[in-house]
Amino acid sequence: MKIKHKQVHPLKFIKSPKALIYNGLLFVIILASLGCSSDGRMTTFESFGPVAEVQGLLFDVLIWVMAIVFVLVEFVLIYAAIKYRHKPGAPLPKQTHGNTALEITWTIIPTILVLGLGMWSLQVLWQIQEPPKGSEPLEIVATGHQWWFEFNYPDAANGKAITTANELKIPVNRPVSLILRSDDVIHSFWVPKLAGKQDMVPTRNNPLWFMAEEEGYYYGQCAEYCGTQHALMKMAVKAVSEEEYLAWVEGYGEKPYLSEEAQQGQQVFNGKGQCITCHTSSGPDSEALVQARVNGFLSGAAIAAGPNLTDLATRDKFAAGIYDRTSENLKDWITNPNELKSGNYMYKLAQIYKTEDGVANLTESEIEALVEYLQSLK
Amino acid sequence: MATVASKQSQNSMLSNIWGWITTVDHKRIGILYGVTAFVMFLVAGIEAGIMRWQLSMPGLDVVSPDVYNQMFTMHGTTMVFFAIMPLNAAFFNYIIPLAIGARDVAFPRLNAFSYWTFLAAVLFMNFGFVVGAVPDGGWFAYAPLSEQPYSTNQGMEFWSIGLMLAAVSSAVAGLNFIVTIVNLRAPGMSLMRMPVFIWMSFVVQILLAFAIPVIAVGLIELTMDRLFGTVFFKPSAGGDPILWQHLFWIFGHPEVYILILPPMGIISDVLPAFSKKPLFGYPFIVFSGIAIGLMGWAVWSHHMFTVGLGPIAVSVFTITTMLIAVPTGVKIFNWIGTLWGGSIEYKTPMLFAVGFIAMFIIGGLSGVSHAVAPSDYQQQDTYYIIAHIHYVLFGGAILGIFSGIYFWFPKVTGKLLNEKLGKYHFWITFVGMNLTFFPMHYLGMNGMPRRIYTYATEYGWDNLNALSSFGYVILFIAMVIFIVNVITSLKSGEDAGHDPWNAPGLEWTIASPPPVYNFSDLPVVEGRDPYWIIKRRAIAEGKELPGPQALVDPSTVHLPDPSYWPAFTSLGLLIFATGFMIEIPVWFVKYPIAIVGGLLVFVGILAWSNEPITREKNH
Repeated sequence: MKIKHKQVHPLKFIKSPKALIYNGLLFVIILASLGCSSDGRMTTFESFGPVAEVQGLLFDVLIWVMAIVFVLVEFVLIYAAIKYRHKPGAPLPKQTHGNTALEITWTIIPTILVLGLGMWSLQVLWQIQEPPKGSEPLEIVATGHQWWFEFNYPDAANGKAITTANELKIPVNRPVSLILRSDDVIHSFWVPKLAGKQDMVPTRNNPLWFMAEEEGYYYGQCAEYCGTQHALMKMAVKAVSEEEYLAWVEGYGEKPYLSEEAQQGQQVFNGKGQCITCHTSSGPDSEALVQARVNGFLSGAAIAAGPNLTDLATRDKFAAGIYDRTSENLKDWITNPNELKSGNYMYKLAQIYKTEDGVANLTESEIEALVEYLQSLK
Repeated sequence: MATVASKQSQNSMLSNIWGWITTVDHKRIGILYGVTAFVMFLVAGIEAGIMRWQLSMPGLDVVSPDVYNQMFTMHGTTMVFFAIMPLNAAFFNYIIPLAIGARDVAFPRLNAFSYWTFLAAVLFMNFGFVVGAVPDGGWFAYAPLSEQPYSTNQGMEFWSIGLMLAAVSSAVAGLNFIVTIVNLRAPGMSLMRMPVFIWMSFVVQILLAFAIPVIAVGLIELTMDRLFGTVFFKPSAGGDPILWQHLFWIFGHPEVYILILPPMGIISDVLPAFSKKPLFGYPFIVFSGIAIGLMGWAVWSHHMFTVGLGPIAVSVFTITTMLIAVPTGVKIFNWIGTLWGGSIEYKTPMLFAVGFIAMFIIGGLSGVSHAVAPSDYQQQDTYYIIAHIHYVLFGGAILGIFSGIYFWFPKVTGKLLNEKLGKYHFWITFVGMNLTFFPMHYLGMNGMPRRIYTYATEYGWDNLNALSSFGYVILFIAMVIFIVNVITSLKSGEDAGHDPWNAPGLEWTIASPPPVYNFSDLPVVEGRDPYWIIKRRAIAEGKELPGPQALVDPSTVHLPDPSYWPAFTSLGLLIFATGFMIEIPVWFVKYPIAIVGGLLVFVGILAWSNEPITREKNH
C-alpha cells in the first residue's frame, strides 16, 4: 500500500498498518506484563477445584473466540478505513446500497456461533449446579453480615456443631455444600480460585458448592456492594488435610488453656468490655441467639451480630480478612476499631467507645489482657 | 445616557433570559438540553476523577469510604440519567424536526416541560451535596441497602425522587417524539426513507414509553418504603429485595439500549456522509435496531445471574442474551460495508464515528462473554464488568455523541469547530480511554471487585490501577481541548455555510443556524438521502449546486407562541418533590409543602390546557 509523502492526512500518527500492528502488540505486551502477577490472591486464572476449573475453561475459550473475532473485525475495519481514504480528484465512489446475500450470511454465521456458545454454557451451568452424585458434601451455612462472614457447620464431624467467622476451614478433596443467606443487606460469597460467586440475599437460601483439590489458603471477598466497608469485607477458605480438619473440629469449643493474664482478659470480655453482648467465645451460636442480636440491632438497640470468636486463635487474619492476627494488630483494633475499619458497628454500638476521643474506655493492661485471652482461643 | 443604555441592555438581558424560559422552539430546547447535559457530564467526570485518584495506589486516604461510595453512586446515576440520556435528547430535540422536514415537534409546550422537569431533577438530586445527604446506594440502589436502617440519611430520597422527576421528563418526551415522527414527516418521507438516526430515535422513544413506567413503579415503592412505612422490599417484614432488582432491570436493560441506539443512529448518518456513499444495508440496520428494541425486553435477568434465580431462569436468559448479540454485531458489519469502497474524508465527525466502531467491537465482545452464565459467576461485580460498561458507553455512546456534536455544531451555530483541535481531541480521547478502561478487563478477572474504595498491595492490582488512573488524566486533557475548541469556535470559528460536509439529510438544505421556522418551503422527499438526490441531479444537469432555502419574514410563518406554563408546571413539580424532603407537623399533614407543589402543578396544567396555541387571531 503506497503512501504519498506529500499527503498529510489525519491518521498521521499511524504510518502504516504494519506500524499500527507492531505498536498495538507492544502496547498489549506492556499491558500484560504490568498486570501479570503469578501470585494473584484473587485471580480467576488459576483454579484449585472442579467448579472454578470448568468456569476457567469456559473463559479461556471465550478469550480465544473474542480475540479471533476482535483481530478479524478490527483488521477489516482498519483496512477499509485506511484503504478507502479519499484521494484528491477521485470521482464519486460506487453508490452500493447493500448486498443481501452477504448480509444474510453474516447474520446466520454469528447466530450459529452464539447459539453454540450458549448451548455449551447451559451444559456447564447444569453440570456445576450440584456436587457429584454419591459424594457426601460437608454442609455449611454461610451468613453475610455488614461487614463479615458467619459460617455455621450444623455437623462439622461426628455430629458436632460449629460457628466460626471469616475463615472457612474445610478438608481437601471433599465437596462443600454451602447455603448462602444474609441477615441484613445483599452480600456475595466469592472465592475465585474455588468457584464463581453467588449472592447472599436476605429471604433466600442460595446454594453454592465447591471442592478444594489442594491444601491451601484461598482468598475471598464480598462481591456485592453492602455499605460503608464493603471493600474490607474479606474472608478465606482454608483447605487442610483430613486429620488437621478433624483435629480442629475436636478442639473447637473445648475449654482453652488460659494463662493468668488471659483469665483477666476473659473477665474483661464478659464484664467491663461487654464483648459478650455481641461475640460468643465459648462454642457455637444458636440460631436463636444470632437472631436476637439481629433483631436487637434492627430495633435500634446497642447490639449487633458479631463474629464468633471461639477459635479465633486458629485463624490467620481477623476483622474479616483484613489484618494478620498479631497481638499488635488486635491491640490496635480493640483500642480504636474505627481507625482500622471506619464506620464498623463494633465502634458505633459498643459502650466502651462512647468516649470523647473514641478510644476504648479500658486501661492498657485490660486491653493487653483481652488480647492475651483472644490469642488463647483455640 | 449611559443609564438609559445600560437599562436597555439590562432589559434586553432579562428579556433574553425570559425568552429562553418561555421558549417552545425545539432548537432552543435542544441547546438547553445539550448545555445542561454536558455540564453534568463534566460533573460526573470529576466524580470519576476522585475515584481514580483514590484508587491510583493501594491504601490511599483521599476520601473516606462513605464519600467514595457517594462518588460511584453519583457518577453512575449522573452519567446515565443526567449526561448521556439528555445529550441524546439534545439531538432528538434539535435534529428530529429538521431531518424529517418539520417546523417543530408535535407538542412544543410539552417539549419545554420535558426540559424544565429534567433540570428540576438535576438540581433536586444534586442538592444532596449542599445539605450533606448524598445518595450512596450505588446507581442501581439494591434493596435492602437502599432502605432504612441501612441508609439512614435522606440521600436515597434525593435519589429516588430525583429520578422520578427525570422519569417524568423522559416518558413525556418519548410520547412527544413518537407522535412527531409518526405524523410530521415531510411528504415523500416514508418510514423506510427516514435517516437512520430518526429510526433509532423512534425505537428509543417507544422503549422509553414502556420502560419508564416500570422504574417509576419501583421508585415509588422504594420511596413509599422509606417515607410511608410500606415494606415492598424489606425482608424483615416479608418484603422481597429481588422484586426491586426485577423492576430495576426490566427498565434497566432497555435503558442501555436507550443509551446506545441514538449514538448508533448518529454514526449511521455520519459514516455515509463522509464515505460519500449510502449506508450499506439500510433495511438490515433498521430492522436490527427494531430487533434490539424488542429483544431487549427479554434479557434483563442477565444482570441477576448470581442472585440465585435457579438454573432454568439462568438458562433462558443466557440464550436470549446470546441472541441479542446478533443484531448488534450485524450493524458493525454494515458500518464497515459503508466504509468499504468509499472515498473517506477524515473530518473530526468521521474520526469519532470510526472510533465508535472500533471501541464498540471490544465492548460488544466482552458483553458476549458475560452472557456465558457460569463464567459470569466469576465476572459479575468485578472490574471486568466495569470495563465492558465503559467500552460500550464511553467508547460507544460518548464517542458517537461527539461525532454528532462535531457533525451538527456547524448547523446549530453557523460556525465550524476547529479541525486541528478536533483531531487532537479525538486521538487523545482514544488513547486515554483505552489506557483507562482496557486494564480493567484484566483487573476484574484477576479478582478485583467493583465498588471498593481501596485495595491492598498484596493482591497484585497496583500497577494496572495506576495505569488506569493515568489514563484519566489523559482523558481530562482531551476534554479541556474540546472545551477550548467550542469556546474559540463560537467566537471566531470559520463560517460553516449551510452544507459544510456535502451531507445527504434535509437539515443541510437550510441556513446555518436555521431560521426559527426551519423550512420556508416544505421539502418534498424523493428517496433516502434526499439532499444528495437534489444535489446530484443539479450536477448531472450542469446546474449550480442549490443554496440554502431562501429566508422569509418569520412573522408570516405560523409558529407556536412562547409560554411560561411548562416552566411553571416544572417548578410546581420541583416544589412538590422538595415537599417530601421536609417534614413539618402542620395539624395532621406531614408534607404541606408537597401539597402546595401539587396544587401549583394542577394550576399549571389547567392554565396550559386553556392557553391558546397562538395568540394571533388572524391566519
